[in-house]
Amino acid sequence: MPLEKLRRINAVKIEVPQDYKPGMRTKGIIYVDEVLEKELEAQSIAQVANVATLPGIVGASLAMPDIHTGYGFTIGGVAAFDIKDGIISPGGVGYDINCGVRLLRSNLKKEDVIPRVKDLVEVLYNQIPSGVGSKGKIRLGHEDERKLLLKGARWAVENGFGSREDLEYTESGGCIDGADPDLISQRAYERGRAQQGTLGSGNHFTEIQYIDEIYDEKAAESLGLFRDQITVMIHTGSRGFGHQVCTDFLEVMENAVKKYNIELPDKELACAPYNSPEAQDYLSAMKAAANYAWANRQCIMHWVKESFMQVLNAGPNALGMSLIYDVAHNIAKVEEHTVGGRKVKLIVHRKGATRAFPPGHPELPNAYKSIGQPVLIPGDMGRASFVLLGTEMAMQESFGSTCHGAGRVMSRHQAIKRAKGRSIRREMEDKGIFVRSAGRETLAEEMSEAYKDISNVVDVVHKAGISKKVARLRPIGVIKG
Amino acid sequence: MHCLRLSKKQLDEGRKYEQLDISGDVGLRIRGNTMEELFENAASGMFELITDTSQIKAEDKRTVVIDADNYETLLIRWLNELVFLFDAHNFVGKVFDICLSETILSAVVRGAYFDPKVNERRLLVKAATYHRLSLTKKDSEWEAEVVFDI
Repeated sequence: MPLEKLRRINAVKIEVPQDYKPGMRTKGIIYVDEVLEKELEAQSIAQVANVATLPGIVGASLAMPDIHTGYGFTIGGVAAFDIKDGIISPGGVGYDINCGVRLLRSNLKKEDVIPRVKDLVEVLYNQIPSGVGSKGKIRLGHEDERKLLLKGARWAVENGFGSREDLEYTESGGCIDGADPDLISQRAYERGRAQQGTLGSGNHFTEIQYIDEIYDEKAAESLGLFRDQITVMIHTGSRGFGHQVCTDFLEVMENAVKKYNIELPDKELACAPYNSPEAQDYLSAMKAAANYAWANRQCIMHWVKESFMQVLNAGPNALGMSLIYDVAHNIAKVEEHTVGGRKVKLIVHRKGATRAFPPGHPELPNAYKSIGQPVLIPGDMGRASFVLLGTEMAMQESFGSTCHGAGRVMSRHQAIKRAKGRSIRREMEDKGIFVRSAGRETLAEEMSEAYKDISNVVDVVHKAGISKKVARLRPIGVIKG
Repeated sequence: MHCLRLSKKQLDEGRKYEQLDISGDVGLRIRGNTMEELFENAASGMFELITDTSQIKAEDKRTVVIDADNYETLLIRWLNELVFLFDAHNFVGKVFDICLSETILSAVVRGAYFDPKVNERRLLVKAATYHRLSLTKKDSEWEAEVVFDI
């Protein structure tokens, strides 16, 4: 597909015009500057265009600067559909339902932690089951698992993992209503039984960081953040449970496409009309998986706090570790948005995109009402991560959404090849970052060069005004799967 | 179900499957003299993505029976069934005795239970997908390409 058909709107946005591909019902918009534009894959542009052909799409088919080719929908994609005549698609959510990020603050400064960071990494690695084939410390009986699917992070709190206050600082309170455990396959139950409280593999991590740059002092103060402060970031999702829900419902949707005569430019966009039983069943199952993920991050956070207390021999008050916020970046949600001056209910798909609600939004906790929703953007393990805030511009332009991470530029093979003969662990240590990983090749696959520079990604959404920078976090200890 | 298998010369090791370089994910190009052999090699190739299967003994047994409308869907369902056996039960397949009757597959899978302390941890395969899926006959061989979400 010709790249010259793309039109630059301004320094941070390009348009995929409606005639880019036959059947497009709307245009596409990709948030990229001229630097990141060079890394655009032709296939991911085609995917933005394909999503624009889906029935009931409202506004443009959007992609964030961390765009890369995904299953049907791009990663970094945002698409909103009318709940009266639109569709819902598992491909618009992804396999790892409610993959997301949470960030903990602390009273600690980097000089308190750096001398013990090796020990902390070791204990965290032992406390948080990670990597291929690892099973969690929590074994769920069938009834427990059903309860967890209904209650999400609340289940974790009721079982001694963290406090009720944490729920207030979690997107959707850590639980979406409407999950239906009866719609979950036996296979998903079996995959979920021993994976609650596990990190997984690939780009998932638990990271000890410090704040090295504050961009907005006032907002940082409201969030309880200060320079040189130690934070911990947890990036994981719904594990095998969510993967199985996606696998199960892709088959359901494939049949729905035939049943409802939906014309698709790509089979991977399999979907169903929002009001069909197939779509509603998927939504209820997806909510169960989202709740599984919120419980998962809540349990892992509990072990992070325990590990810090053990290694630093300090009590909870001295450490002052508390949840800043928890965001989902692979999810579909029914939300109210203003389109053409009218308030409408839409099913917003965010796949590798983060909700970024503005100040005053009713879904924000009271403490953040005046500043907007914290947006947590994990970078690669060697560079940085960011705390941003949601904005009114995001509500107007991107259905209250922004980017989610760095996005790969190198395939696994390229990365492994590039790492040949090098010790990535040693290189990281030379930069003052201690890493522990379960997989033999994880560090090579996950090295910094394999990803876009997160700073470029974040600068684009900041300049576009769909979120604003508050703080930059530098890693000092990383636990990988 | 009774199933006859023609004894054919197996492909060389390197021709059974090869990894495909795909940004963010991983793919396999799989070949087989027969459809059964293609399904067998696909399974071997996938488990090789997960761990070093030379460390796995064929000491335990699982049976799989699935069907589909066509061979492409059957291949994805077969691989996802194996993903499930690994992810839920840590079972790694080593030897696959596959019987196809039209698009009904029945298989006896022999292998062992993965121990993260002993076995090598490679990729966490979330699912076999329809992304870029192909299954064709090239000369006298079957060839398929499958992308896995990792």
